[in-house]
Amino acid sequence: MIRFILSLFIPFRWFIEKMGADYNQFIRILELKLTLDNRRVNPMSKKAKNDQRNMLLMQSVTMIFLGVFFGIFLSMIKSPFTFYYLSHTFLMVMMAMTIISEFTTIIFDTSENVIIQPLPIKGNTISLARNAHVFIYLALMAFNLSVVSIIIAIVKFGIASGLIFIFTIFLNVLFTLFLANILYLGILRLATGEQLKNLLMYFQVAIAILFMGAYQFGIKMIDKSNIMNMVLPVHWYTFLVPPAFFSGFIDGVTVHQHGLQDLIFITEALILPFVAIFLTGKYLTPVFNRKLMDLEQGDRMTKVKSEKSYLSLWYRLMSMLFAYSKEEKAAFKLMWKMTGRERLFKQSVLPAFGYIVIMIVVPFFNKPGSLSNIGKSDTYLFILYAFIFIAATLPAALLLGTNKQATWVFKSLPILTPAVIFRGSIKAAFSKFFLPFYLIVASGVCIVWGIRVLPDAIIALLVIYLLCLFMYYFQNPLFPFASEKSAVQGGMAGIKVFALMAVAVALGFLHKFLLHWFDYSNLLLIPLYLGIILYVDRVMVYSKISWKGVDRINAY
Amino acid sequence: MDSQTIVSIRNLRKSYGTKEVLKGINLEINSGQIIGYIGPNGAGKSTTVKILCGLISDFDGEVEIFGKLLGSKTLEIKKQIGYIPENAVLYEALTPMEFMEFIGEMRGLNYEQTRKKAEALMSIFEMKSNINQRIATFSKGMRQKVLICSSLLHNPDLIFMDEPLSGLDANSVIMVKEMLIHLAREGKTVFYSSHIMDVVEKISDRIILIDQGNVIADGSFAELNKLTNDANLEKMFTRLTGNTNHEEKAEAFINAFEK
Repeated sequence: MIRFILSLFIPFRWFIEKMGADYNQFIRILELKLTLDNRRVNPMSKKAKNDQRNMLLMQSVTMIFLGVFFGIFLSMIKSPFTFYYLSHTFLMVMMAMTIISEFTTIIFDTSENVIIQPLPIKGNTISLARNAHVFIYLALMAFNLSVVSIIIAIVKFGIASGLIFIFTIFLNVLFTLFLANILYLGILRLATGEQLKNLLMYFQVAIAILFMGAYQFGIKMIDKSNIMNMVLPVHWYTFLVPPAFFSGFIDGVTVHQHGLQDLIFITEALILPFVAIFLTGKYLTPVFNRKLMDLEQGDRMTKVKSEKSYLSLWYRLMSMLFAYSKEEKAAFKLMWKMTGRERLFKQSVLPAFGYIVIMIVVPFFNKPGSLSNIGKSDTYLFILYAFIFIAATLPAALLLGTNKQATWVFKSLPILTPAVIFRGSIKAAFSKFFLPFYLIVASGVCIVWGIRVLPDAIIALLVIYLLCLFMYYFQNPLFPFASEKSAVQGGMAGIKVFALMAVAVALGFLHKFLLHWFDYSNLLLIPLYLGIILYVDRVMVYSKISWKGVDRINAY
Repeated sequence: MDSQTIVSIRNLRKSYGTKEVLKGINLEINSGQIIGYIGPNGAGKSTTVKILCGLISDFDGEVEIFGKLLGSKTLEIKKQIGYIPENAVLYEALTPMEFMEFIGEMRGLNYEQTRKKAEALMSIFEMKSNINQRIATFSKGMRQKVLICSSLLHNPDLIFMDEPLSGLDANSVIMVKEMLIHLAREGKTVFYSSHIMDVVEKISDRIILIDQGNVIADGSFAELNKLTNDANLEKMFTRLTGNTNHEEKAEAFINAFEK
């Protein structure tokens, strides 16, 4: 597959050399980058490490599968302009989300620098190879996501329309690459070193929330009763929307009935991506690479700020409540500190806080008059149980980090069972990130619905805590902050989160049902859940997390 | 101080898949000694150290440390040993003080005592001002110093060191060498695995050379010297591991890039 991808650059040799790069060096660097991509190791895989050579192919299959769902939706649309507009919007959103969530492996990938930097490489070769690598990554993704849409387009609108669609997909990738460069350069100008890494993390969180909000509101705006005949009107500002350039271009070339409108779209689609790539290669990338070096260097001496006194009081309270043995208290303390500092952890968990606000707020905007009658409804149960959305992110997020080889320390310590480390970790994350936010919202719920709902808030908390512990103790016992994203998110991880949420919903309905059936059901549920929590946390955990199981998947 | 056997290894074997890394090691180690454990790359040095420290638990053979059988009494053994791993990799988001507090608490030390000891040890390495800085910002040598300090926090009787001088500056190397000699004088045992021959030669009471999973030489430098008549440990090492044609190899190397 790599050879095939590289052969696609042969016709562009002249262009690559014109951009100031050495073609042979460019191809070698690209080959190295793609080989490294292809051999990304999944530690959970049973295969020997040197057997893993098909990561690109596996990713492609996943993307094609994802594209099926969107293709089915698109197949209902009659208007070509709307069909291609939605296709390109979908691609841009998917590419943006990937760039945002995987920025360290895509945009800021410096893994091969140790090999490349000492070599006498000519001019813009490294910069151009880096951009070409990102382009290949995004183009492969965009093409695979669109395989089904392309087939549908060919069937519905003809072969010419389908082929032009493929061409515009690559134009779209070029343009998105340019936008990503501009965006990240802007951020790189704002800060340096550790500060910059934190800023990037919060930026990602903000963007993820923004997308979730836009999606929630966007879905509400589509008239679902008439998707088939949906036609997007062209206003003056449509000419400024990138997906419209490409859909207008296909429409203009194949249908050509709108005169000036078609001409503007065709010009935009053909000229802007190439101007963008020229600007990226000539001006943006060199600055970007310089900034990237600063990012790699980081701040040499970063002192850790002392914890604020109220946080310290909260920590002491939570440590007393959640950590029992001396060893568990030590693990709790360590993980309390690390959860506040590990970027990948925060990056995974923090968006859920935004999502939950959107999930709680949006339904009220959709039902007129719902706010005035809210005190009489059962909506509070939905609000409380919706917090499973945050808790479900914790178990997987706790594994994420770059400290893979640092886990020897746990094995070298005289501790009878590794369960103390795992218990301390999940409880520190739960009490530091989840509990304060839950308590604030639960207090608000008690104010609006009255103190009578306090037992319900306690039950929802116990259910969520139980499910969170359950999920953490039953996943693969990898030590905290030591696994790559691909290892944690692959396989059954998504299904497990979904199952956990389904169980929470079921338990929420059981709760609601019991409340209607029996006034004092709360008195039954609280001790029941407390009992199960104690059993899971103090008995079951030891059979699930043992040195034998831990040694099997953690390297020391 | 009377010397007594504290480590007893009988027929120690370890395989990774089909590759046998240790092929039946037999050793007795007495207290108050510095043991230089040397061998070429891939000889099985780090594997031996990891087994003795309880990091690798699936091995064949029998290991007794302080009269306790490794495997059934690993926890008690771990309480009395210190370990410095080959690669100075630590949780980067932590500071040395936080890391050592964790180690101390896990080893059952008093909180205040741990902090005082951590400060004192870090001061010796002139790193007191770095004690509240994130490990992520440290050089390899600085990380190595944090590891050395953390391995000594609980005053272990037996210290396993896998390339402890890696990345250290010249002054720190001299300091660590002196420290090891003092620890041995106090009755501590140091199991020192390294590639740096001149340091091993100077500080070791006993040198154990392994090659391809077997012990091929064992004794003090003077004893080994009588056997081989080599002027220094480096020459002895090359002879015993069967790599005497260094000049030829160097010449071939030069020729390779001159062509």
